[in-house]
Amino acid sequence: MLKILVCVKQIPDIDLVRMDPETGNLIRTGVPTLTNPLDLNALEAAVQVKERYGGEITLITMGPPMAESTLREGLAVGGDRAVLITGRPFGGADTLSTSYAIVKAADMEGSFDLIFCGKESQDGATGQMASQLAERFDAAQISCCCSIDGIADGKIRATRTLETGREIVEATLPCLITVEKENFYGRLPNLKAYLEAKTAAITTYTENDIDGLDPEKIGVPGSGTIVPKIYPPELPEPGRMIRTGSPKTDVSELLKLLAEKDAI
Amino acid sequence: MQKSDYRNMWVYIEHDGVTAAPVGLELCCELRKLCDTTGDRLYAVILGELPDAEVEKVKECGIDGLIFVSGTGYEYFSTDAYANAFTVLSRKYKPSAIFVGGTVNGRDFAPRFAVQLETGCTSDAMELEYDPETGDIQFIEPAVGGKIMAVITVPVLRPQVGTIRPGTFKYAPTGKKAEIEVIREEIGFDPAAIRCRHIDFIPDETDPELDIANADCIVCVGNGLKDSEHLERYRSLAKLLGGKLGCTRPLYDRGILPYKLQIGQSGVMVKTKLYISFGVSGAVNHTAGVDAEVFVAVDKNPNAQIFNYCDYGIVGDMDEVCDEMIDQLKARKS
Repeated sequence: MLKILVCVKQIPDIDLVRMDPETGNLIRTGVPTLTNPLDLNALEAAVQVKERYGGEITLITMGPPMAESTLREGLAVGGDRAVLITGRPFGGADTLSTSYAIVKAADMEGSFDLIFCGKESQDGATGQMASQLAERFDAAQISCCCSIDGIADGKIRATRTLETGREIVEATLPCLITVEKENFYGRLPNLKAYLEAKTAAITTYTENDIDGLDPEKIGVPGSGTIVPKIYPPELPEPGRMIRTGSPKTDVSELLKLLAEKDAI
Repeated sequence: MQKSDYRNMWVYIEHDGVTAAPVGLELCCELRKLCDTTGDRLYAVILGELPDAEVEKVKECGIDGLIFVSGTGYEYFSTDAYANAFTVLSRKYKPSAIFVGGTVNGRDFAPRFAVQLETGCTSDAMELEYDPETGDIQFIEPAVGGKIMAVITVPVLRPQVGTIRPGTFKYAPTGKKAEIEVIREEIGFDPAAIRCRHIDFIPDETDPELDIANADCIVCVGNGLKDSEHLERYRSLAKLLGGKLGCTRPLYDRGILPYKLQIGQSGVMVKTKLYISFGVSGAVNHTAGVDAEVFVAVDKNPNAQIFNYCDYGIVGDMDEVCDEMIDQLKARKS
């Protein structure tokens, strides 16, 4: 039976995040959260593998206690078990320290044959987590996978999407996979699974529960990067607005200007 | 770790054995400027065999040195062999920074060797600056969907690793230096130890509609589009103008148009004569990918950021304005 790990992340709805113009901090209070959409594609790929080859899916996330809702969402669509890593010392982590914490916590659950991740998160969007997790798991990696073509004898054959075509690869297990969303659109839970997920047990690890966790390698101290400053993008001066009163006259004015510039 | 022990900047030259990918050359050109500020030497790193004519192109980008890595394991890209090569080289030569083009494969292996070296890694910077007080590079990039710009630094660890998207920096070679140091290293990687092996490559069939990077005219549709049923008129307008249809990221995310039509930092960077956007809000991630001689924006929100980037703006219903354009362009032609 394949042991499958799926990494998921709860993120703020970035459309609603604002910057405090006075302090320059991001205002996240009251901003609704969601599960990172690409993580749901990763979960779908894992569920398809489980359906085809058999297996058990463990979901893992790191975040505040409320991130539990993202795990429950995953349990409702095919996850079997769920692990939440939570605690203040984990906060403010970049990908170097987040990947460390996740792998140390996952080790508490045994070893995994396949690890699935979204290609990137909508909020941080570095796209670095998967490769860094693969390194820390000492696993092979297949990024930008658009189809899983077969799993047998400790090997997986899959297709990757590159800039100018598709690459067929074969990797040994354990292997970490990031998926393209096209062939792995998420599914909706059925009512029974949804209700069961609401009360399912979730394993929670704080910084005190993980064997051999080096406090210097998590959170801010374990991060390689910092963000010393954020600021609003500098905007160029607005262009010439055409306001003649109606769409018809606006368009004729525009076309006249474009013709003068030889643009049409 | 003493930061001052780490000197010089490296650029990875991605290639397929025939040509060097443009992004490596772009990075050399940009980093030439940065190295002139910091006093670092600029090295290009080439793994495996690359024809001399292509190496010449790299030399034209103002580099101070070349590091050629030979050995087994570089015939095809693999994360294992490529990450290992950079880890071995970096431990030996201690560069201050390593830059890798943010291609699919660049983004695959750079974060991995950053972990092997236990150092900080950033992706998608749009500007690079140097802070002489700290000696750190400032990687400046859009964050939170382009609403803010974030300055990211690697304050303690070295090397500073960054992946940069193709097209972010201009290819503007400053010429070949009189003396270019050449370092040759043999770092063999046992092909049997490569855990993810290349089996085959199937090139995409070329579809001219999906090749928009240098189209003369682009009609770009953004998240203001109600649904796919409303899309056809924009295709018609593009056709009338002899141009192509493109989109912003939300339309790809919504499954309305394919990834190859997504314009912006994480999609296609376009260079065009006429660019007309409909229902595009104007996030930095998108506008950074547009180089247009004439830029027209149409959106219903008079405060949309897109109007800061346009030459001409029209506030109004995107469908209505598009239909009007089609009618009037047809009338002009007949």
